[in-house]
Amino acid sequence: MDKAYISARNVRKVYNPGKPDEMVALHDISVDIPRGGMTILKGPSGSGKTSLLSAIACMSRPTEGRILIEGRDVVKLPERFLTDVRRSTFGFVFQQFHLIRNLSVRDNILLPLYPTAVMPSAMKKKSVEIMARFSLAGKENLKVKNLSGGEQQRVAIARALINDPKVIVADEPTAHLDRKLAAEFMDMLTSLCAEGGP
Amino acid sequence: MIKHLKIIDYALTSLGRRKYKSLAIITAFTVVVSALASILLFSRALQTEAAYILDSAPDLIVQRTVGGRHDLIPLEYSEKIKKIPGIGTVSERYWGYYYDPLTRANYTILGTDGNETPLELLEGRLPAAAGECAVGAGVAAIKRTGAGGELILVDSSNTGVLYEVVGVFRADSSLLTNDLILLPNEVVVDFFGYPPGMATDVAVQVYNKNELQTAAAKVKRLLPDSRPITKAEIVRTYEMVFNWRSGMMMTVFSAAVIAFCILAWDKATGISADEKQEIGILKAIGWDTSEVLALKFWEGLIISLTSFLLGTLAGYLHIFVFNAFLLAPVIKGWSVVFPDFHLTPHLDPYLVFTLAFLTVTPYVASTVIPAWKAAITDPETIMRG
Repeated sequence: MDKAYISARNVRKVYNPGKPDEMVALHDISVDIPRGGMTILKGPSGSGKTSLLSAIACMSRPTEGRILIEGRDVVKLPERFLTDVRRSTFGFVFQQFHLIRNLSVRDNILLPLYPTAVMPSAMKKKSVEIMARFSLAGKENLKVKNLSGGEQQRVAIARALINDPKVIVADEPTAHLDRKLAAEFMDMLTSLCAEGGP
Repeated sequence: MIKHLKIIDYALTSLGRRKYKSLAIITAFTVVVSALASILLFSRALQTEAAYILDSAPDLIVQRTVGGRHDLIPLEYSEKIKKIPGIGTVSERYWGYYYDPLTRANYTILGTDGNETPLELLEGRLPAAAGECAVGAGVAAIKRTGAGGELILVDSSNTGVLYEVVGVFRADSSLLTNDLILLPNEVVVDFFGYPPGMATDVAVQVYNKNELQTAAAKVKRLLPDSRPITKAEIVRTYEMVFNWRSGMMMTVFSAAVIAFCILAWDKATGISADEKQEIGILKAIGWDTSEVLALKFWEGLIISLTSFLLGTLAGYLHIFVFNAFLLAPVIKGWSVVFPDFHLTPHLDPYLVFTLAFLTVTPYVASTVIPAWKAAITDPETIMRG
């Protein structure tokens, strides 16, 4: 494996600092995430896994410490540049899927591409390809609230991949899936890794 | 460019998936805008009508008052007025209001000496002989007559008199001629039973318009029982009656403004948990704060612009096609508008811009500002709730 693609250095995350409900979620965490592999974070509930993933994926800024992506510290980047990093680097699969429930399958998948210069025809082509890949063909116009848990999971993965991200961040992706679907999902991630990333 | 088009496309999709809520907002907003537009268009149309009337109005009208009541004016008064330095033409006017119980409408009967009038004739000519009359379009419609037709009026001796309609008036201002019946001067005198040597009032033109107040004061000094009314005073009267700032119009206008403020305030103070979470999702998957704000801007603009256009159209139709049927009763006490009247269609760009500015801008702001508060927060914080 190559040297670390993402590094967290002495990361500390405090929610509501200085308030009565202050909570330290991360305390002096350092971790390296190598390129081209699958890294799994394990820990009990409330141990700060989601907080660390959010910090690593530029969804929140740590209170202290550094996050390096390809050696570049992103913590102090202005919001606009941080968004660029988030958009070009990461695809997210959330524990709760975080799909827009009354939006169609196709629109949910295409959401990351709306604020980009990708032409609508190219967007359509990509959506057709990715829906076929995740067995969602024929369901593009269904609202996601009408899909099963497994189908929603696939929509969430398709949305994470539509931007051709370098890193997929998945936060407890199998928590809401039965054993069979969880196994399918892990197979999917494994095959993506084997392909050398999306 | 393509990015913004796609954001607009998403804004439309976004509104479409909340179609009942969006439709409810558009409906409520349209009603408020149409009320505002109706009032503004109505008052502006009436002001325009008044301006047309005043264009052809004399500089000074001299009436005689007896015990504070308007009474007929002796013709020798006009001879005395003519001799005042600075006074131009002086002409006696013969006119009066006529109530027609059959049509339950008030008409204005006005005398003419057969000279050219500033009013345009739609068809026919001015009355030249006894037994002839010209009428306004409103009178022609309500009495179901026209050029070549007949009109029966009951005179002061309670005798029905048949007149031949020789002309039907058209003026830039329909309010000006709508309720008008024009008869030769001597016929008007007989019709109302005026004593000889008396007129209704005297119209005066002054050479130097800046000296109008001085001329009025001179008339008052010379004829203590007279009441000179300047054009400026007429303008003030019209403004008091027609201006949107006054009375009932102000009440209706205020109610519409308050309704709009409640709508905007409700929007500005509340952003639902679903909307907050959606903003968090958009940011988490790579939308920038400015892109989220652009989305909310377009959503607000689509709703408010649609409502503004529909509301303005509804207001225009209400005032100019359906004859302001909801607002006309407010000024029905103004006798000259007793017959059905049609206001001259007129859309002032300044008024439209003002209406757009007062309705679209606050609504868009009330959509964007709460979204901005959510959009500048870390997506993780929003999604954690």
